Amino acid sequence: MIALSQARTKRLMTIHGWSGTLLGLILYVVVLTGTLAVFAHEIGTWSVSGAKARDPLTVSLDAPLRALAQGEASEHLEGVDIHHNSAGHIVAFFHNHALDEKGQPDDKGILFELDPRTLEVVSRREGFGSDLFGSDPLGALDHFLVDLHVRLHLPDPWGLYSTGILGMLMLAAAVSGFLMHRHLIKDLFVAPRLSSALLNARDRHVLAGSWGLPFAFVLALTGSFLSFAVPLGLPLVSATAFGGNQMAMLETLFGLPEAEDLTRTPLANLDAIKTQSIDLAGSPPSGLTILNWGRADARVEIFHPPAEGTIQGVKHVFSGESGLFIGQQPELGTVPSIGDTALGLMFTLHFGSFAGTLSKVVWFALGLASCFVILSGLQLWLQRRKDSRAWQRFSRVVPIVGYGLPLGVSGAGIAFFFSLPAAQNLFWTPVGFLIAAALAFLFGLLVRDANRLSKLYCFSLGFALIILPAVRMVTGGADWAELFGNGNSGVIAFDLALLAAGAGLMLSALNAAWRGSRFRVQPDKTVTDQ
Amino acid sequence: MWSPKPLIRILLAGPAALAAALAAMAAMPLWLPSGTAGIDNLILPLLLFPVIWSLTFFYAILEENLVRGSIAFAAVITVNAVPAVLAIQGS
Repeated sequence: MIALSQARTKRLMTIHGWSGTLLGLILYVVVLTGTLAVFAHEIGTWSVSGAKARDPLTVSLDAPLRALAQGEASEHLEGVDIHHNSAGHIVAFFHNHALDEKGQPDDKGILFELDPRTLEVVSRREGFGSDLFGSDPLGALDHFLVDLHVRLHLPDPWGLYSTGILGMLMLAAAVSGFLMHRHLIKDLFVAPRLSSALLNARDRHVLAGSWGLPFAFVLALTGSFLSFAVPLGLPLVSATAFGGNQMAMLETLFGLPEAEDLTRTPLANLDAIKTQSIDLAGSPPSGLTILNWGRADARVEIFHPPAEGTIQGVKHVFSGESGLFIGQQPELGTVPSIGDTALGLMFTLHFGSFAGTLSKVVWFALGLASCFVILSGLQLWLQRRKDSRAWQRFSRVVPIVGYGLPLGVSGAGIAFFFSLPAAQNLFWTPVGFLIAAALAFLFGLLVRDANRLSKLYCFSLGFALIILPAVRMVTGGADWAELFGNGNSGVIAFDLALLAAGAGLMLSALNAAWRGSRFRVQPDKTVTDQ
Repeated sequence: MWSPKPLIRILLAGPAALAAALAAMAAMPLWLPSGTAGIDNLILPLLLFPVIWSLTFFYAILEENLVRGSIAFAAVITVNAVPAVLAIQGS
């Protein structure tokens, strides 16, 4: 509803079309994997057939962590980060602050995984924090998905730059789409016309695009911030504000350390501190950090997820020496600030975690709608250029990537399960993805008829989704009775969702094959934009 | 007949918009208030970088008068880049 001259509208059309076309398929990869990554934690828990404990960090941690701190981790006590992984194992990273080979700040130490029921160490890995996180075999499937979304499995910083550029491209497509809308309200309720295939495709693209416009804008803005902030923003801002000293900037952001006191002092009882924090927050902790363990200036920070009605988590700080509560602190800085609130909003909006499972489901649905907008926009662009042989060759790639990506992800899941018993899943999960994607590509080259190809892809994807729960159980995963008994009904719900989605896709493919085209359309007429 | 206008617009929407957004992000810590926690001037430039890029990009696309657009870009880049470079050199 913004009045623009014809020349401006034409330029916006060009931006909208080319921004979607140039990198549209890669953008689709980032958006679809991001849509799946909304449920990354749930996928991780499902892939290992449920967590071993409901709230792993509520168990008694003082004795096992103290034993590690006095034993093999005694040289790595500047910081201890504690959280739990998808399998419900307690992960404790004992580390010192260091610089990596490139001179970048990183933490170096030993990462232990503890079983929450027996509190025995089940695995031990040593190295830099940036290498250790993401190398957990049990989290191979969810890490694979998240890494594909965040950095396309490219090395840093190029992966983050690539997804940042794609975020900006999505922003360009969303803003140009909004500015071009002459009838935004009307477009929200447009009924796709059946008079022509091209008009029908255009109406469906406009309908999905109009509803998804605010979502696409928010996701593109927060996504490009998340991609550029660390590799580009922090060095640039620290250069002007701190003469390039990133450590000084990080100290300002996370609160300047108190005056050092190296006096050897035993740490107060961790379980007592944890109990105080749980009473204050009214929820189990999502993570703990112990700074300067064994010194008089030791601090214990306990993190809690957002309480009902709030969007930001809580951090409680305790004296490590006395165990007394010092106060509540924001994630950044020592007192609440606009910067901290804005940063919290960026994360919450990007991950869709502001209203628990409900907002995640909405984010997932809007993500799928965005995938449809990207692919339907590409198809519109190609339909308008059906006389060009070069564009028509490219048009074969759209269904190959459109179906090849979810087929590849299903292949990664199947490979994960088969390699889990031998603990080879860090290798086989990406290989499974590549094999399934290569098969889909081969399929696309062999089947020349586009309609037949789409139906075959749709059926194959449905079949792949349906067999995933069975493969999970056959390869040693818990069955539904066992899951129901140990309180992991979320895994059953995930199995059912996969079965329903798979059955829906297979039925849709069979229905299309049986009845031919879903609607009869008139031959394409000349179509003018908008 | 060949016209330089499309090329100028591409240069403004591409490298100039990116340079303006980067220069603004670099200069913002110098003039933004640091806030109660002393971190606002460090965090807000990072958050605003995609917004600034979007504004400069669409300004380059929608501006009819390319001479005015070029002057505006030159001014924005200079006003932000000069204090940022001076701050980096002065440290």
